[in-house]
Amino acid sequence: MSLDYVKFSGGFEKFMPKEYRDMVEHGPFGKKISVSQMGSFKEILEEHPMCAGCAMTLFIRLAIIAFPNPEDTITVGTAGCGRLAISQAAIPFVYGNYGDQNGVASGLSRGLRLRFGDKPKDVVVMAGDGGTADIGFQQVLHSWFRKERFTTIMLDNEVYGNTGGQESGMTNRGAVLKMAPLGKKFEKMDMLQMAKVAGCAYVATVVPNNPRRVESVIKKAVLIAREVGSTYIQAYTSCNIEYAIPTDKVMEDAKTVENDRYQFTEYVSDEAKQYLTERYGYKDYLPKAAAPAAAIPNKA
Amino acid sequence: MYLVANINVEICASKSCKLCTQYCPEANTIQYSETMGTDKGYKYGTAYIAVDRCKGCALCVWVCDTMAKNNAIKMTMIDQLPLAAVTDNIRYEEKTTVAVLSDPMIVIGN
Ligand SMILES: Cc1ncc(C[n+]2csc(CCOP(=O)(O)OP(=O)(O)O)c2C)c(N)n1
Ligand code: SF4
Ligand code: SF4
Ligand code: SF4
Repeated sequence: MSLDYVKFSGGFEKFMPKEYRDMVEHGPFGKKISVSQMGSFKEILEEHPMCAGCAMTLFIRLAIIAFPNPEDTITVGTAGCGRLAISQAAIPFVYGNYGDQNGVASGLSRGLRLRFGDKPKDVVVMAGDGGTADIGFQQVLHSWFRKERFTTIMLDNEVYGNTGGQESGMTNRGAVLKMAPLGKKFEKMDMLQMAKVAGCAYVATVVPNNPRRVESVIKKAVLIAREVGSTYIQAYTSCNIEYAIPTDKVMEDAKTVENDRYQFTEYVSDEAKQYLTERYGYKDYLPKAAAPAAAIPNKA
Repeated sequence: MYLVANINVEICASKSCKLCTQYCPEANTIQYSETMGTDKGYKYGTAYIAVDRCKGCALCVWVCDTMAKNNAIKMTMIDQLPLAAVTDNIRYEEKTTVAVLSDPMIVIGN
């Protein structure tokens, strides 16, 4: 875990596959890249078996590009569709039993701090809505109440996609699915509110039809988790198979759902605002009055 | 046979909005070249598809038609493509890529 692992072992370069050589020579490791440069550098994510046109795949692709230090990042996942792609990236990926991802990430993040001290090593959990809000719920909430310093990302496709369409806590009330033929009887869980109650320092919702916003929230969440506390991103990542969305209409659906129940929201704790401003030079959280006040003496 | 995305260089290289590159769900699939458009005398570079990675979802067609309003991408049967880029023939350079285009059937038949 460092730039040391993104290089060739002596004498092996010419035996490495093209994709590997491209990754070492033209990958984003150790560089500052952004989504606007997509298509012109070798990405960390490789080929994977997720369905054609899956918005979750797009979100994962964007998220990995947004990691501030990919060479110092470990991803943690669990059963569900997302792991099929997250595991096919040149970033170490930890996969445990279904639902234990936040428990694993808690131990991992603490262990990394013991081993590497102040040098930031980022732990990012990406798991489905079932893995996060149902099966892993207890460990997710406890990691938040304990202020474990890593990022939790819910890939919310509002269904158990990987196992053929069971309802999850995040499915909307009334939704009819293959394995919920009578329609869901309960409301969608409000995990955003729970994240705030549990003390997360950063909570945001996002939809992949805005790549720059995905990039921005992921960066903030990962940076804040380095020192301030738990961070949570809830992303709408439709399942075109279980919700029968034609693949060329996936972004249209994302827009509809964004307007309906996934408007962009972002909560940043005061401590996190101060941290982003002082440590990483973010300008968004400077007191509003400060800019004109500072300008007056200059003019005089 | 199956469909893959095909970008019209003439249209793309006169617009070059770089929008589809940010929306394809597959990594390293819609590539961007600064020179593959300008070499042919067009104003900008062009996006192009690594056809061996394209899953044929047509999401990029929606992005180019509806978001960018450029209508540069059409789904095309892979054996109907005149020439195509495949991963093995794509070279990464500083902030751009370049592809040697070839008959896609040579690769599919392997
Ligand atoms: C302990 C355990 N129970 C059940 C399963 C079977 N299983 C695999 S994926 C999955 C559902 C995944 O749903 P979700 O977490 O919403 O992710 P998605 O596939 O929708 O992305 C289940 C029930 C399992 N792997 N382990
Ligand atoms: S089943 Fe649904 S969520 Fe899973 S890969 Fe396919 S489209 Fe994506
Ligand atoms: S969206 Fe269309 S015009 Fe824009 S870069 Fe892609 S193919 Fe070219
Ligand atoms: S059809 Fe789908 S997989 Fe192929 S290039 Fe377009 S968005 Fe990517």
